[in-house]
Amino acid sequence: MADNDAIAELMARCALRDQRAFAELYHRTSAKLYGVAIRILRREDWAEEVLQESFVNIWSHIAEYSATRSAPMTWMTAIVRNRALDWLRRPNLERGDEDYDLLVESLPDQGPGPDVILGQSRGAAALAECLRQLSGDQRQTIMLAYMHGLSHGELAQHLKQPLGTVKTWIRRGLERLKGCMDGRS
Amino acid sequence: MKYRNEQLRDALASEYALGTLQGRARRRFERSLKDDPQLRALVNRWQDRLAPLDSMGQPVRPRARVWHRIQEQIQSGHRRGLWSSLPFWRAVGLAGLAGALTLAVLLATLSPMRRGSETMVVVMADAKANPAMTVSWPMQHRGQPRLRIRVMGHPEMASGTAWELWLLPGDEHKPVSLGLIGTEPMQEVNVPRSLAPMLGHTCGLAMSVEPSGGSPTGQPTGPVLYKGQCTPL
Repeated sequence: MADNDAIAELMARCALRDQRAFAELYHRTSAKLYGVAIRILRREDWAEEVLQESFVNIWSHIAEYSATRSAPMTWMTAIVRNRALDWLRRPNLERGDEDYDLLVESLPDQGPGPDVILGQSRGAAALAECLRQLSGDQRQTIMLAYMHGLSHGELAQHLKQPLGTVKTWIRRGLERLKGCMDGRS
Repeated sequence: MKYRNEQLRDALASEYALGTLQGRARRRFERSLKDDPQLRALVNRWQDRLAPLDSMGQPVRPRARVWHRIQEQIQSGHRRGLWSSLPFWRAVGLAGLAGALTLAVLLATLSPMRRGSETMVVVMADAKANPAMTVSWPMQHRGQPRLRIRVMGHPEMASGTAWELWLLPGDEHKPVSLGLIGTEPMQEVNVPRSLAPMLGHTCGLAMSVEPSGGSPTGQPTGPVLYKGQCTPL
């Protein structure tokens, strides 16, 4: 949380066009955001481009941040995610190969639970608990989609399931997730 | 396109935040987001719900060249000045691009652009974030700073009152009076040389309503009608 406050303060200084604050903001957040981009895009050159565009975008729109009432990292991550997903949407794009390590592959059944990985904050605890209440299929599709930007079609292919089934897992999973998380707050 | 059904709106917001809303549906949804604050709020809620997943992945340090390119782009944007700061005008509450352009053109006429001579601009907005007044002055100016004030629209000043302009130096400094102003569209105010160092990047300006003759205490006593942040152009 302290980190979030420090980032919010840097952003306020950026809104006043303080370039040193922007350098510090980049220094503190770029590795996290680059991680987000590269997990979705799976190609270094694309991820670099998306990170670059995102930060230029962050710099020029930073004065609008306060209106969103999100945590600063959430706001910046949303910008990177949207850029990355837009990038994937370009026609005739072949994304990376199958052997890419899908981070959440093993999560439904084995390995440390999402709560261990997600850490300690209140939102994280609620999300971890609620993810655990989903079926394995729902949890896996939601996490693959979020972490790696897989589309319905790619998910169906990857999980070798009919498209309709995958869509239903996601829709029901998200509904349950919301019901559970709202019930806890 | 309007999405009326509440459940459908939330479902779309959730899949948008998740990333599975793609192609034409995503574009259409993004168009709706622009003028539907409630839909934006639904998306924000979903982003907040899912955000803890972001910390699941490993951070990866990007190569140094990425930062160099960002810096280059931002600095060339700065030299372009006006256009790069359009988002700022929108941020101070302009409803549409037309308004932003009017203001940009207005500012362009106020501040002749020369390289190396930045102009500080404050767009002062009312409580509803509508721009009501602009104040600008050349930076890196050795003599006595002179503020150029442009009042928009035709505001009325109640009789027996005065408008007082305040410099908000930032940090923990108290507001400093810059004197009284009127309602005329174009005005100039000379600032004492001793205050010049305070007219830097962190400053703001405010305009309060005071008894005629100005604040009796040396600090703002009446309501603040307009205020804004200093922005170098």
